[in-house]
Formats: sequence, C-alpha cells, structure tokens
Amino acid sequence: MVFSSLLFLFAYLPITLLCYYAVPRRWRNLVLFAVSLVFYGWGEPVYILLMMLSVTSAYFFGFFIERYRTSAPKKAKWMMILSVAVSLSFLFFFKYYNFFAENLSRLPLIEIPRIEALALPIGISFYTFQIISYTVDLYRRDCELQRNYITFGTYVTLFPQLIAGPIVRYRDVDEQLQTRRETVSDFAAGVARLTVGLCKKILVGDLLAAGSEYFRHLALLENTALGAWMTIILYTGHLYYDFSGYSDMAIGLGRMLGFRFPENFNYPYISKSITEFWRRWHISLSTWFREYVYIPLGGNRRGRMRQYLNLAVVWLLTGFWHGASWNFVLWGIYFLVILILEKAFLLKVLDKTPAVLRHIYAMLLVTLGFLIFSYPDLTTAKDCFLSLFGVGCVGATSAVATYEVLRILPLILLAAVGATPIPKKLFAALREKWKPAELFVPLLTAAGLLLCMAYLVDSTFSPFAYLNF
Amino acid sequence: MTVKRITEILTLAVFLLVIFGFSIAFLLFPDREFSEQENRSLRTFPEFTLEKLASGRFAEEINDYFADQFPLRDPLVGVKGVAEIAMGKGENDGVLLGRDGYLAKRRFAMLCRDGRILPDMDAFDEAHVRDAARAIKRVSDGTELPFSIFLTGRTVDVAAAKLSYPSTYSDALLTLLREELGGVEGYIDSVPLYREKLEAGEEVYYRTDHHWTTLGAYYAYAEILRSFGMEEEILPANAFERVTVSDAFYGTSWSAGGMKFVSPDAIELWLLGDEELYEVVADGRVLDGFYSYRYLEEKDQYSLFLDGTHDVVTVKRRDGVERPTLVLFKDSFANSVAPFLARHFDLVLLNLSSVRTDYTDLTAYCEEYSADYALLIYTLENVVTTSKMNGLR
Repeated sequence: MVFSSLLFLFAYLPITLLCYYAVPRRWRNLVLFAVSLVFYGWGEPVYILLMMLSVTSAYFFGFFIERYRTSAPKKAKWMMILSVAVSLSFLFFFKYYNFFAENLSRLPLIEIPRIEALALPIGISFYTFQIISYTVDLYRRDCELQRNYITFGTYVTLFPQLIAGPIVRYRDVDEQLQTRRETVSDFAAGVARLTVGLCKKILVGDLLAAGSEYFRHLALLENTALGAWMTIILYTGHLYYDFSGYSDMAIGLGRMLGFRFPENFNYPYISKSITEFWRRWHISLSTWFREYVYIPLGGNRRGRMRQYLNLAVVWLLTGFWHGASWNFVLWGIYFLVILILEKAFLLKVLDKTPAVLRHIYAMLLVTLGFLIFSYPDLTTAKDCFLSLFGVGCVGATSAVATYEVLRILPLILLAAVGATPIPKKLFAALREKWKPAELFVPLLTAAGLLLCMAYLVDSTFSPFAYLNF
Repeated sequence: MTVKRITEILTLAVFLLVIFGFSIAFLLFPDREFSEQENRSLRTFPEFTLEKLASGRFAEEINDYFADQFPLRDPLVGVKGVAEIAMGKGENDGVLLGRDGYLAKRRFAMLCRDGRILPDMDAFDEAHVRDAARAIKRVSDGTELPFSIFLTGRTVDVAAAKLSYPSTYSDALLTLLREELGGVEGYIDSVPLYREKLEAGEEVYYRTDHHWTTLGAYYAYAEILRSFGMEEEILPANAFERVTVSDAFYGTSWSAGGMKFVSPDAIELWLLGDEELYEVVADGRVLDGFYSYRYLEEKDQYSLFLDGTHDVVTVKRRDGVERPTLVLFKDSFANSVAPFLARHFDLVLLNLSSVRTDYTDLTAYCEEYSADYALLIYTLENVVTTSKMNGLR
C-alpha cells in the first residue's frame, strides 16, 4: 500500500488510528505489528512470509549473540556474521540473483539460468538494513537484546518506514518502542508533516514526473536539447519531491503514533558541493553505510589510500543498493570519483569560488548523476547525455517543446523555491512578528488535504470518449 | 490556552474530520454505477478471489473502486481542474483550454505502423498515416462511382486560432494527407476551411465536444455536394429554420477535461419543415425521424442525431420517390450531416467503427447496396489512433 492513495488515507489510516488509540498502551505494539503486516501484505501477500522469516531469524540469533558476547566474543562474532549473512542472503537472492545469473552467463563456460518469476519484494532493501542494524548494534553492545518478539517485529515492520525508509537504526527507537508517550502536540505536528509530505508527492512530485515522462516521449518524435534538459531536470525535481515527500509522510505518521524518526533529507538541492549533497540527501542510508561499512573498514584512520578504498567499497555498494543494474553501479562510481576529487583538492578550490557557481556546480553534477540513475539502459543514457549538447537533435527546441516548458514553468519555479528553506523561514519570521499566523497551520492543512484528495480522485479519471462509434 | 495549543487542537480536528468524515461518508453513500458527468461506467466493488489478491490485482481494483466511488468525486475533480488552470498550465487531463471556452483534446493514443501504441501523444506516426492515406487512394482509384473523401479535423486541428498550443503536428498531418491525397478526385481538404470559419468567429465546432456543430455539418454538406458536381442543388443556409433545442450540452471534451467552469454548448437543428417525409431505419428499427429528442434528457446529447450509434442506418422518402443512393462509410461526425444529404439522396450509412461488423470492404458494400455515390466521412483522430483506414478495400 502507498501513503498517497485514497485507500490508505480513508480506510487503512482511520482504522489503524482507531485500533491504536482504543487499546491500552501495552497492546499498542501488537496493534502496530498486526496492521503493519496488513499494510505490507496488501501489496505483497506472498513475500510477507519472507519478511517474517528474516525477522524471526534475526530475533533468535539475537539471543545467541547476547549469550556469547561477554563469555565468548569470538562465538558472538560468528553468530552476528551468520545472522547478517542470513538477512543478506534473502536480499541477495531476491534482488540480485538474476543480475548475476545474466552477467555471469556472459562469461565462457558459465551458464546460470534466470528465474523469471523472481520479483523484487517491496521494501526488502530497507527492512534488511534495519534488521542488520539491530544485529550489529547488539553485537557491539550499542543496544540491549530485545526479548519480546512483538516489539522486535514492530520495529522491523512498522508501516510508516517499512517500504521506503527512513532506515531507522534499532538503537534510535529502542526506548520509544517500549516507553513512548503519544501527545496532542506530537499528533498535530505529525498531521502537519504528513500533509506536507502528501502535497510534496502528489501536487509536485507526480506532476514533475509526468512532465519528465512527456519530454522523454517527445524525444522519440523530435529530439531537442531543451527537451533533454527538461527530461533530466524534471526527473531530478521529481526524485526529491517524491522521496523526501515519502519520508515526510513516514516521519509524520510516526509522530502521530508517538515515534520520532530521524530526518532523511535536509534541503539537498541547496548544496554547494557533492560532499555536502550526500550529507543532505537520503541521510539515513548514508548514515547506515558509514556506521556499518565505512567505519568498520577503518574509515579515514588508516591513511589516504585506504580511505579511498573504503570509499570505493561504500559507493559501489550504495550504487548497487539502489538496483541490480549496471547503471546504478556506474552511478555509484560517478559519485565516488567526484567525492574523491573533492576530498583531494576540489573542495579547496570551491571554497574560493563564488557561492552561485558552487550551487551551479553541485546541481549540475547531481542532475547529470540522476541522468545515469534514470536510464537502466546505458546506450539511451548516452544518447540523452549527447542530446543535452544538441548532438542528434533536430534543434535546440521545437514549438511544442517550448509550449510545454512555458506551460509548466510556474510549477517548476514553485518546485524550485519549495526545495529551499525559504518558505519555512518566511513562515517562521511571520510567526515571530504576528502570533496568530500560527492559525494558518490548520487552514493550510485543510487546503492541502483537499487538494491532494482532488488529485487522487482524478488519477483514475479517464472518461470514456464515445468517439469510436 | 495559547495560540499554539489552539492551533494544535484545530489541526488535529481538521485532520480527524477529513479522514473520518470522508471514510464514513464513503461507507454510507450508495455506489454509483455510471457517471453522467464523465459519461463512463464507474468501478464497483471488485470481486474477490485469492488469485487476484496474490497477484496484487485486487489491490489495484480496490484503489480504482475507491477513486471512482469517493464521496464528492465530481466536485473534487472540478477542484483539480481549477487548480491546474490556476497554475497556468492551460490544460487539464490532456484537454486544452482555449479562448472563448474552446476545449480541445490534445493527447491521443498514437498507433504506430509496427503495432505499438504510444499513449498520450500529441503527434502521429507518419508511416501509419501514410499507409492509411494510400489505402484510401487505392479504393478511390479502383471505383467507378463518384467517391468523395471527407476526413474531419479534430478540434485541435480546426481550432488552432483559439489555442496557444502550436499547430505543428496538425499542420504536419494535413501536409502529409495533402501529399498523398491532394491529387485524388473527390478528396476534400476540409480542415483549412474550418480553421478559417472558426477564426472568423463562426461556431463550426462545439466548444465542449469533439464534433462539429450543425453549422459545421452544413458546410460539410455543401462541400460534399460540390465535390459531386451538384453545386446548384445546395440548399442555401437561409432556407432552414434554425431551432435551438438545447443550451446545456456538455460534450466529450468537457467530460474528459474536468474543467467544470466551462459553460455548456447549445445544439441547433436546421429544419425545413419536410422532416416527416423521411423514413429513418436504424438496425432494422424505424426511428421517429432524424432526431431522437430523448437524448436531450441525457448527457450525451449529440446522440440526438440519427439516434447515436448504429451499424446500419437507411434514409428513404416515405412517398416512394426514388433518388440516387449514397452509401456513406462513416463515424459519428456523419450523423449530423445525414439530414442535409437526405434531401438529395437515399442514404445508407455504414458505421466503420462498428464492433459487430467490419465495413471496410467499401467496394463490396457499394455493390451490395447498389450505390450511385459513395462517401467516406472519418475523423482524423480515428485515422491516427486506429488502423481502420489502413484496411480499406
């Protein structure tokens, strides 16, 4: 199920809230566990078993790690490794098996059959990482053993962050899982956050996506440089609004249930370097890789060459995590190279450059990165890249491309401003000067919800034209 | 209580009111089977099977069900239309909002020669359209009969003057057709004519529907007679009494565009007073005449002309006076032209878009109905989106 659907907002959510708040506190995790399974099973009725297997395995391995971690650290380590291996094997098999089968079969003498029926289980990359964070933290004594299966199950399957993050580390919510207080303040803040997320996704993200898709199709008819730029710029905007909108919804829903999840985005598109961008984009994933891969490998404490090697591991994995396809690997390498260059000397150069140029530098590289990200087929990606400079185009623009750009220009400008902290700052300043401005919050919430509903209702709006008779 | 506290409580209240209000209303409101405003069947509660659940199809169908049966669906769709226009987008759901409230569908499911269908495209597949035009030409070359070809423009083609949208693709389409059919006897290059009339302020197409108005149909009639060399017989426009039978016609573009603030069209009938003289038979049933007034009670008012969709419609004089037979291969545009033509010919109208019978063998059907004249009236939208023309014989 997705948050931005009428079914979620007007059936699942009311029922969930009713059940959750109707039962006494000690039952609430059980309610969450149950509704989260429904949430997951709705779209993935079969893979729910896989997820439960992964949860159960980590749950039991936890006891072994706990038992050995003082008396026999070596054994504890093996238990930890085994547990992580089990979780990763599911991820590997379901997400990467076909990729490896296909690519290894290209080598002489190797023939590995593809499994056509293998579909990617929703959210497996996210929940596997959450499970691993528990196992490793337990081993490192950064958290305590969770003896209660329901509580542990609730942690992994918690519906707000189950299928698209933020990736919440176990230790960050350990306490909240057992003793959390739901308050009116938190609930109201959660509502506002959920509404912001819905608006970002439905009113901006989806429309930018449709625009990008349109230009992608238009390129088949008349390839123009403007069209190619619009394809990737709109796609870049779409990714931010879609993904950060989803994170906002997750964080908002979490707060409505008394949880505080970590932030996942911090205005990534105002970055002035790629290093900064990755501190602001999908923060919970970067944090995860830093905590569980980069630092264990030695981070930057073992000399410069070793640091670059560690970075290489992290970025290959980051790329690969996004999908089992070469373009994601290339995407990871792309950022690896830029980050190493920035570390080596570029950041120093950038420091002396005017801010405007630094913004352009960062956004240009981010946008080009998403070009690689958006085309699983590298040949098409190359064509699109060349089109940016007019190679293979019928011209810089065409009448229809220009019309289309002008038509969505207000949306693009709105989206651009919305990706900066400016609106938030303005509202804060207004509130400072004039207290009742606070009352705009419920008004905007109502307006936002109404608009989102209008767009959702219209999404199946495909009237039957009786032209063919 | 502080402002902050009041805000929190209000926010909470707004939210609970919206989600519980609408979910309860959803439960209480009975399901609708058909949407008048959108002119389509609505999704009713999907049948449950374990298979559908496992494949995720049940989830999809439930989603559609929710959207279709959602309380206040029609006003909400209208809100979205207003929001899109307010954002300066100039269109909604692929329908352009032109000056004077002209609505023009812009995006079509483009059929390619290799059989692929690209949804939501502005353009057309050149190879596919060229094939279609050549098929028409072959039929024309092969027949001895006077044969006229009238490909009707889409609103987006004829209303260029009312739209900010560039006419690039329309122009390219017309040029291509002219290249292929320009030299063919009986080919009527009609779009420029309608463009001119519209520019001059004549309402030759409905603003909210994809069809032409009765005025537009009259011009088509005149062009057709001219192409048959019957110029002197054309009944002058002032011979007709013009009667407005509806001023609340919300057409297909209105339904598709979700821009509910656009005012409806009026429907005019052009009467001579001799209407009783003609017997109209549709699929074996004798109609009341050219016009089925009961459709004025429904949303789909254009179906007033010749009772909407039928496979075979014939028109004869009741007094037994026989005239030359015109066999008309057509889609719905022809329905409002037929009353004009009926004053000169005995008519046989064959619906090319019929799902039951394939009428694309023009030669055979002309023979079957002993045609003296043959006419093709077909809209460019169908040329671009279907392969009907490509199979003409």
